Amino acid sequence: MTDMLCGYANRDETVVAFLYDELEPGERREFNAHLLTCTVCRDEVAGLRAVRTHLARWEPPALTSLQSPVPETSRAAWWQAPPAWAQVAAALLFLGVSAGIANLDVRYDQNGLNITTGWNKPATPKLVTAQPSKGGTTLVTDQSTAGAPWRADLAALERQLRNDLRASQASAPAAQTVRAVSSSDAETLRRVRELLDESEKRQQRELALRIAEVVRDVDTQRKADLRNIDHTLGLVRNDLGVEVMKQRQSLNLLYRASQRQ
Amino acid sequence: MTWTDEELVAKSIRGDADSFNELVLRWERPIYALAYRTIGREEDARDVCQETFLRAFRALPGFRGQAKFSSWLYRIALNLCRDWIRRERRTPVVQPPEDVDLLELAAASEPSESIEDLVARQDLSRVVERAMALLPEEQRTAIVLKEYHGLTFQEIADLVGCPLSTVKTRLYQGLTVLRRELAKNPKTKGTIL
Repeated sequence: MTDMLCGYANRDETVVAFLYDELEPGERREFNAHLLTCTVCRDEVAGLRAVRTHLARWEPPALTSLQSPVPETSRAAWWQAPPAWAQVAAALLFLGVSAGIANLDVRYDQNGLNITTGWNKPATPKLVTAQPSKGGTTLVTDQSTAGAPWRADLAALERQLRNDLRASQASAPAAQTVRAVSSSDAETLRRVRELLDESEKRQQRELALRIAEVVRDVDTQRKADLRNIDHTLGLVRNDLGVEVMKQRQSLNLLYRASQRQ
Repeated sequence: MTWTDEELVAKSIRGDADSFNELVLRWERPIYALAYRTIGREEDARDVCQETFLRAFRALPGFRGQAKFSSWLYRIALNLCRDWIRRERRTPVVQPPEDVDLLELAAASEPSESIEDLVARQDLSRVVERAMALLPEEQRTAIVLKEYHGLTFQEIADLVGCPLSTVKTRLYQGLTVLRRELAKNPKTKGTIL
């Protein structure tokens, strides 16, 4: 290496621009002419060119693709992973649904569609029982209010009806009582039907949600299986590659040995 | 049909996930190489590469095409490399040379290349890597962007945010240090004037 002893204007920048071919044509001609007469610059350009040749030999280690090896059709890209809160919410939903679905009981009998879930469901779903009263009026009998929320509503309605009945019996003639009770019966039936409809819709929605979750679980499992298959195939390919390399080494050795002989 | 980066960006912004996948496939190796040559650690370079695309994906709706997509990616990656160097408070560490694994080397060799040539090539690569690790971050970045990514002086200046003349000076100083270091090394000194 030589120490710099050249006074060419903007020398360092010009040398670099010349090296990377980024000089204007005029500047390039001028510097080329200078190189013919300046040993210092000529040596430096040659030395830096040699450095560039060495730089070209520096290869980073191979990169295995950032993409998942799972086929395109079943792949969710890593950069599209849902945020942490969504994953937590999904996990909680999944746990809740799994717990419920384990005891899902769907029944269809003379009482209509009946869906019950949960680990501690009542032994017999005695939801509503109607008994005729002495006056020919249908009344809702005493029920447990545990379980579905509409039972509490029914119990409250029953209490109200009883109170109304007692009050009307005490203060009105018999004919008026019959009319009042008949009116109450119609109202009761309407309310009961509404409550049952609402309950049925709610349970249908719940069933649809659980079916969707099951489908999603199956899909997740399928993706995991595909990944496993791909991984196994990769291992097999690696083993084959190692065998090929060993063979190549052996051939190299044989070739060298035969050349020595 | 081959889409340009800008077309793929536009499709990605409209929600086409495959287009962004295509951009990742197209640019992951250059970005990884940039990160590796800047910070010198394989695993960390991979992390930087992945984080670069993650940030790009999140910031994609705000990308207005004021710069080339590749320049935008380079800038994100360089910022991440800079953060890494500051966080680690050290210059890039060249991974210690391990025992040469002939099988691994053979896997990387051309069919016509002998094992001896391959080992020699790997040795030279390590010499260059060690010499590069001695450079200050600015000089190393300038050399990496120029030498391995073919950016013009002006593009480097825009990317790192410094005057054009500073880029040339950094390159000149960096190459001069490399020349001195390679001239000292027994494996390369015969080839450096």
